[in-house]
Amino acid sequence: MVKYIDRESDAQLMQRIGWHQVKAVEDRAMRRNFWKAFAFMAPALFLVCGLLLMPVVYNIYFSFTKWKKFAGLDEFAGFSNYAKLPGNPYFDEAFYNTAIWVAASVVFPLAIGFGLAVFLRAVPFGNMFKNIIFLPRILAPTAVAVIWFHVYAPHGVINSLLAMVVGRPVDIGWLYQDNTVTPAIIATFVWQSVGLVMVLVLLGLSAIPKDPLEAARIDGATNGQVFRHIVMPLLMPTLVVVTILSVLSGFTTFDLLWVMGVGYPGQRTLSLAVYMYFESFQKGSWAFGSAIAVVIGIVVFSVTWIQTLMQSRVDKMTR
Amino acid sequence: MAIAAHNIDFDAIEARERAAQKKNWPTFILALLVSMIWVVPFYYMVVSIFKTHAEYAANNPLSLPEGLSPFFDNAISAWNTAKMGAGFANSALYGFVGAGLAVFFAAMAAYGLTRISFKRQNFWFMLIFAGTIFPFQIYLIPLFFAYQKIGIINTHFGMLLFYTAVCIPFPVLVLRNYLNGLSREMDEAARMDGASEFRVFWSIILPNCIGPMTATFLLQFTWIWNDLLFSTVLGNREEVRSIMNSLQIFHGSYSTAGPNLTLTAALIASLPAIVLFLLLRRHFMEGMRVSGV
Amino acid sequence: MNFKTKLLSLAFAGFMSASVVSVYAAEVTLVHDKPFWGEALQKVVDAATKSIGETMKQNAYSPPEQFKAYMQSSIAANDPPDIFTWWTGGVYEELIKSGQIAELDDIWAEMIKSGEFSEGVRDFYKVGDHIYGVPLHLSRWVVLYNKANYTKVGISEPKTWAEFLSNAEKLKAAGITPFVATTQDGWRGFIWFEEIMLRTNPEAYMGLHSGKIAYDSEPVRNAFKIWVDWYAKGYFTDPRSTEEVADFAKNKGSMNLIGDWAVGLVEKAGMKPGTDFGAFIMPNMDAALPSSAILEGSPIMLSKKGLAKPEVVKALKYFVSVEGANVWATASGNGLGNSKANPPNDVVNKINQDVAAMKTVSYPRWWEAVPADLQGEIVAELNRFMLSPTMETAESVMATTQKLNAAYWADKQ
Repeated sequence: MVKYIDRESDAQLMQRIGWHQVKAVEDRAMRRNFWKAFAFMAPALFLVCGLLLMPVVYNIYFSFTKWKKFAGLDEFAGFSNYAKLPGNPYFDEAFYNTAIWVAASVVFPLAIGFGLAVFLRAVPFGNMFKNIIFLPRILAPTAVAVIWFHVYAPHGVINSLLAMVVGRPVDIGWLYQDNTVTPAIIATFVWQSVGLVMVLVLLGLSAIPKDPLEAARIDGATNGQVFRHIVMPLLMPTLVVVTILSVLSGFTTFDLLWVMGVGYPGQRTLSLAVYMYFESFQKGSWAFGSAIAVVIGIVVFSVTWIQTLMQSRVDKMTR
Repeated sequence: MAIAAHNIDFDAIEARERAAQKKNWPTFILALLVSMIWVVPFYYMVVSIFKTHAEYAANNPLSLPEGLSPFFDNAISAWNTAKMGAGFANSALYGFVGAGLAVFFAAMAAYGLTRISFKRQNFWFMLIFAGTIFPFQIYLIPLFFAYQKIGIINTHFGMLLFYTAVCIPFPVLVLRNYLNGLSREMDEAARMDGASEFRVFWSIILPNCIGPMTATFLLQFTWIWNDLLFSTVLGNREEVRSIMNSLQIFHGSYSTAGPNLTLTAALIASLPAIVLFLLLRRHFMEGMRVSGV
Repeated sequence: MNFKTKLLSLAFAGFMSASVVSVYAAEVTLVHDKPFWGEALQKVVDAATKSIGETMKQNAYSPPEQFKAYMQSSIAANDPPDIFTWWTGGVYEELIKSGQIAELDDIWAEMIKSGEFSEGVRDFYKVGDHIYGVPLHLSRWVVLYNKANYTKVGISEPKTWAEFLSNAEKLKAAGITPFVATTQDGWRGFIWFEEIMLRTNPEAYMGLHSGKIAYDSEPVRNAFKIWVDWYAKGYFTDPRSTEEVADFAKNKGSMNLIGDWAVGLVEKAGMKPGTDFGAFIMPNMDAALPSSAILEGSPIMLSKKGLAKPEVVKALKYFVSVEGANVWATASGNGLGNSKANPPNDVVNKINQDVAAMKTVSYPRWWEAVPADLQGEIVAELNRFMLSPTMETAESVMATTQKLNAAYWADKQ
């Protein structure tokens, strides 16, 4: 507010120019507008609140009851469902496997996708390779899982390829042994998702305007320096978003593990999401399953929040 | 320096790319070898669908088929036993109607959020967007029991309701960003001419949003088509199953049928996605870009 | 805009029409979780439709845990299906405790009076003072064997434990794998476990189910020692196979320990019951003990609401009638205990005769007798053993299983 020399106070000024009346009219308009806007937002709001937000509240509520099989919904259990989690060997194993899975499902596609993008830029017929590598991305995880289940089968593709290399029959049960099942499924996941990272990086690289690159080269910058100081900062936003989305989907991966793990005895511990499904729908421990779901939610939140913090830090650095 | 993301010219990019590719044969061979990792599983699938069960069991899985005729038996067998017909129809219904309605409702919401000024717009946007921040597991048990109670479990309506709801938040994000960048001259002019808000939305904004709407529709359609978990939990009755659910049950409960049948079923289930991709590659790429920005 | 309008009106029409769910038709729908019997059940319900005059359908849910979840939630919502299949044992009692399951005492009185069913079968489905189910099928767990192999090696159906072992040895010496056993579908791990326990120490077998015997006690360890020994001698086929029935039908192994409901499946896979393959009940290790066999009998149950509907009761009665049983037997190769119905096939007929002659005692299957909460986890451990059948794995399996078992029974105190 501009102060007049005779030091009229703000309140007096506002009174004089009729600010309150104008504001009242504006407020009325805003409120009318709100209802107009609400009419437009209504279907989306009702659907999202009813089917996506209310269930969250209910889920948290269920996790504090003793609900199991047919009864117990009306009994209060306090934190006992949560207390049962940490020592439970199945939960610990599932948590550990989920951590490995999320780390691998973020790091490997990023690294390999990035490498492939850079590599394929300078290859003849690069477009053809791009499409081949991207194609699995549009297939359903279920279909990919079914195909790769048979690729890994004892009488399957991997074993026969190895047999050709080694010279004698190979009979490894990739999806049946403790030490190979998770790496095998991770490999399938990377096979499917690398294409997306690769395409995004390629798009990002192509969209970089030529001028700064040329200017840098004229100034004598090496390829590595150009990469580090011009290319990477421009790609950062895309990569960060991809990472955040990968983390969220890594925690909730279900299809691949459920379909490919069907022969593995420890299937229920392949990830927290699968464990939650087995506890709820196979054993009917609804309250316990709800607690696991809440734990998944909390872990996802924390990781996403940390990542968003890191992203704003990175943003500040590259501005 | 940020990329002006809306204005990527795909043709120029492709031209530049082609120009940049030198005739570099060693790298070509290397690229060929690396791409084999992606080709071999597809080759394996294509080769297996032409084999009978006995043929598959007797030979190397990568061997060429003896004839092309078993494919029809496999396809018919997979179609009937796995009930792919119902799965196809159901997933198509869920995909078109669910994604279509979701994108339309999202456009409405985005219009309300950007073109009408009112207090605390951000709060309402975050409320809708909050639909995406929770892991799916947290919806399973409450929805399962609520659906049962209301009586919409294992119904087409119930599945449509869920799919529409879950596909709304992301398009709202995309369309809101897009509309914020769209000039307001036309709708201001229309308003001054006396058009109602809905008229402005329907006749002016909507036609200008076809691009992002198509891209998000494709993404959400694919998501619905690929869904397994929610169809298993909320709509597991044979008549209501999605196609991926039918495929998974075929894979799990009918494994005695043989890999040739299961792979045929997987191929049938994936055909629409592959066809859509080949026809609408540019829109897919746009969708991918839009989701990464 | 025309395109958009068309698209939207189409979408709305789709949405609205999909919401009109076909609600009330006077039809009876049998809900079950056995899609591999889908065709056979369809034949029975078609015949039932003709007989009772109301449309009858069958609806398969898969996988079994989804079916269980559906039942649990529909009970929770006070709206269970009218007629459905289930399992005996712990889950049977749980369901009955919900209070929504119909008592079938009157129907059973008729069934016994007609002479078609025995009281023994009736009591199989008794909880407390009432009966809550009728048999969908009654199957004994037997050893199917490939007759051609037996003739080739010069052996016959074993009457003693020693003969059973020597048969296996002779087959192995002739280059034929004696037993087909897989972990297909994730539930089969208990089959050989329960059989070996039953043959070596039936009392301990029953003690497992009541918590009296621990899973890492001596009787269990002895059973595992035998099992490990047989794997070490190469008596079993690859457990990772996903095609157990086909493995047996294609002679990958000479014998298959399975419920006699599998006879129909083996027949479909190409072997003729009676001529190509037969069955016998595995002999006990201790010949002094009476002949025993594992009995499995999934029930068909009615909800209280279902019992109140005349068409549902008619459908149920058709199922257990001579005519219904015959259709079922022909379609699936299953018998359901109706003594006046045709035996489904030569193999089952022969087993029934053996049972009558030897006065075989029936034991419940591990799958039903184990407490429901432990079922999934313990069978996963048994599967784990089969995939790596060493004594080391066995010790680890026993330890883990007992930990779960002990925790369960401790909770119950």
